[in-house]
Amino acid sequence: MDFEFSEEQLALRDVCRDLFAKQSSPERLRAIWDGGERGTDLWRSLAEMGVLGLTVPEDHGGMGGNLVDLLLVLEEAGYHAVPDPLLETVVVAAPALRWAEEGEWLERIAAGEAVISARLGGSPYVVDADIADAVLIEHEDGLGLVTEFDATLVPTEDRARRLFAIEVTGDVQPVGASARRAWERGALGAAALLNGIGRRLLDLSVEYAQARQQFDRPIGSFQAVSHKLATLFIQNTAAHSATRYAAYAEARDTADRPVAISTAKAYASDAAALANTEALQIHAGIGFTWEHDLHFWLKRGRALEQAYGSPRDHRRRLAEHVLALAGDEPPAPTEEQADA
Amino acid sequence: MDLTLSAEHEAFRAEVRAWLRDNVPSPPLPPPGTPESFAQHVAWERRLSEAGYSAIHWPVEYGGKGADVLMHAIFEEEYLLAGGPERVTVVGTNLMGPTLMVHGTDEQKQRWLPGILDASVIWSQGFSEPDAGSDLASLRTKAERDGDHFVVNGQKIWTSYGPYADWIFALVRTNPDVKKHAGITFLAFPMDTPGVEVRPITQLDGHAGFAEVFLTDVRVPVENVVGEVDDGWAVTMTTLAVERDSPAAAPARYHRDLTELVRVARRRRLDDDPVVLDRLADLFVTTRVYDAHATRTLSTLYNGGSLGAEASVTKVLWSELERDLFEEGLELLGPHGEVLDDAAPLSAWEDWHSKYWYARAATIYAGTSEVQRNILAQRVLGLPRG
Repeated sequence: MDFEFSEEQLALRDVCRDLFAKQSSPERLRAIWDGGERGTDLWRSLAEMGVLGLTVPEDHGGMGGNLVDLLLVLEEAGYHAVPDPLLETVVVAAPALRWAEEGEWLERIAAGEAVISARLGGSPYVVDADIADAVLIEHEDGLGLVTEFDATLVPTEDRARRLFAIEVTGDVQPVGASARRAWERGALGAAALLNGIGRRLLDLSVEYAQARQQFDRPIGSFQAVSHKLATLFIQNTAAHSATRYAAYAEARDTADRPVAISTAKAYASDAAALANTEALQIHAGIGFTWEHDLHFWLKRGRALEQAYGSPRDHRRRLAEHVLALAGDEPPAPTEEQADA
Repeated sequence: MDLTLSAEHEAFRAEVRAWLRDNVPSPPLPPPGTPESFAQHVAWERRLSEAGYSAIHWPVEYGGKGADVLMHAIFEEEYLLAGGPERVTVVGTNLMGPTLMVHGTDEQKQRWLPGILDASVIWSQGFSEPDAGSDLASLRTKAERDGDHFVVNGQKIWTSYGPYADWIFALVRTNPDVKKHAGITFLAFPMDTPGVEVRPITQLDGHAGFAEVFLTDVRVPVENVVGEVDDGWAVTMTTLAVERDSPAAAPARYHRDLTELVRVARRRRLDDDPVVLDRLADLFVTTRVYDAHATRTLSTLYNGGSLGAEASVTKVLWSELERDLFEEGLELLGPHGEVLDDAAPLSAWEDWHSKYWYARAATIYAGTSEVQRNILAQRVLGLPRG
């Protein structure tokens, strides 16, 4: 019985952490927020490190890995509010594109030469459509890939998460993979990003609570503040545990995979939402300013809580599994009808 | 990452399951709150001991099975699923025994461990006092040296199994002139020592769970000190560390309680109410999250790690889940929630009400939720003390 990450998985997390700290620093994020170009350095580095090809089979130039291998990288990406479409390209699209007949997409993804975005689960918006070489969409009973489309920028709260409305102008290439599974992978990946965001909000708040003095003492010494932070730690830790299990379930295709993913996304979203609320409350006035970096994570968090299914959407999906716990047991015949 | 159990662990599960199926008392024993039912529980403990199951996690040299943490968790889960009786020996097997193994002399181990293992001696714990709860180190029960004895005076409270226990281990103040964590000694003595007076406390659920223990000029031989005189706090820290690195509450417990909740919703015809479904799904999520987290902590321990202060995460998770599950149950029961009779749409209404109130205690015992949050804030997050 081993629920631990391997040395390799931890090493990959560490190099990605260093990379994101440099190339997705708060200064660079602020430059993007101010209208600067995102640049392609980070994407190229991720290709060189094998991250973009992590979910691509080895005979297509990838690493042949799975979501467990990628999980800690995604948490770091959330922690550093990485603006690039790692989730769409590597988590949602690449595993589905094994079933694409044309285009050598897998090779191009692994080499960092193709950005793939996605429009799934009823959302009308597409992340980074302007730089996407193709967009994965729901098509007939499965998925389809489009390469010709017009993209219109939609203003967003998070200026480093660029959304577009697209109009498809060319043919749709059918992809014989499940749209539901692609969306579920998106939910799993979003949960991992949210765990990273929640941890960043917690770390920023702990740092602030240690430094900020009122009544001649750090505000972190007040239990009204420290207990909020402890609660965020508890929930962030538990959210990671649930997401780790969901990644395992996805990698092994266990029978409870959909339940595990919905559990992780619902809980990770709720945990990140509480971190969002409390981080701003603890930072108070300074956190409410445009100049402070806090809102990079506040806004990314609010976006991802809703992406690939809100907590409510996932709980709705789980309801049938909850009822199944008690079998098909009918109501007791003696029960009064007054409630009906 | 591989959650598959080894053949050895699966075989152990099968063995335990079969034994419990053949041996767990049916009908279930009444709660151990009367002399008769307590005796029944002790008899059950002896049966467990004869089969080698009383303290499987103890090393073989002390009479245990040397079970790893995973086997321990498997046993706890199977025991729960089999509906095994409340374990009235846990203070001995989980606290006193492991503490003795670290701090006891050879003579003390030989004297006390066998009685814990075969359930011939039931132990209780004398830590809390009326004015020393979360702030345990402020305890005032004092022990003064008189030749080769200590003379103990003071009062302990919330002593589980106090009315029926044979022995108690207590923290007493042996030096009042030093900082409060220093000057405490860990002392063991029989409950029938002259000067020990036990007064049962009736819990709010009507059960006689614990007791006040009054100590008046109780003479305890110095050889009953565990660890060094004035160093009882370090001994206590061992006891607590052992507790932290034991398997957490079995997730199967909460899957079972949630299932009962869904049954109530069905019987009350609330199973198509979207508000109820959302609430049940939320509890389903929390139950599964706890399960994943318990798996993670087991893996950490099984693979040689330690939880330390992070064990507080686990305590808060299961105790708040337990409370929330039963609170939801009360709301689903509606008008039946306050009624103590078998009209309630419950599988076992007496048991459920008892569990409901006990769930209200979960966030209090073994360190309140507030103490757990203090531990996390200070030791994990590095926030200053208040």
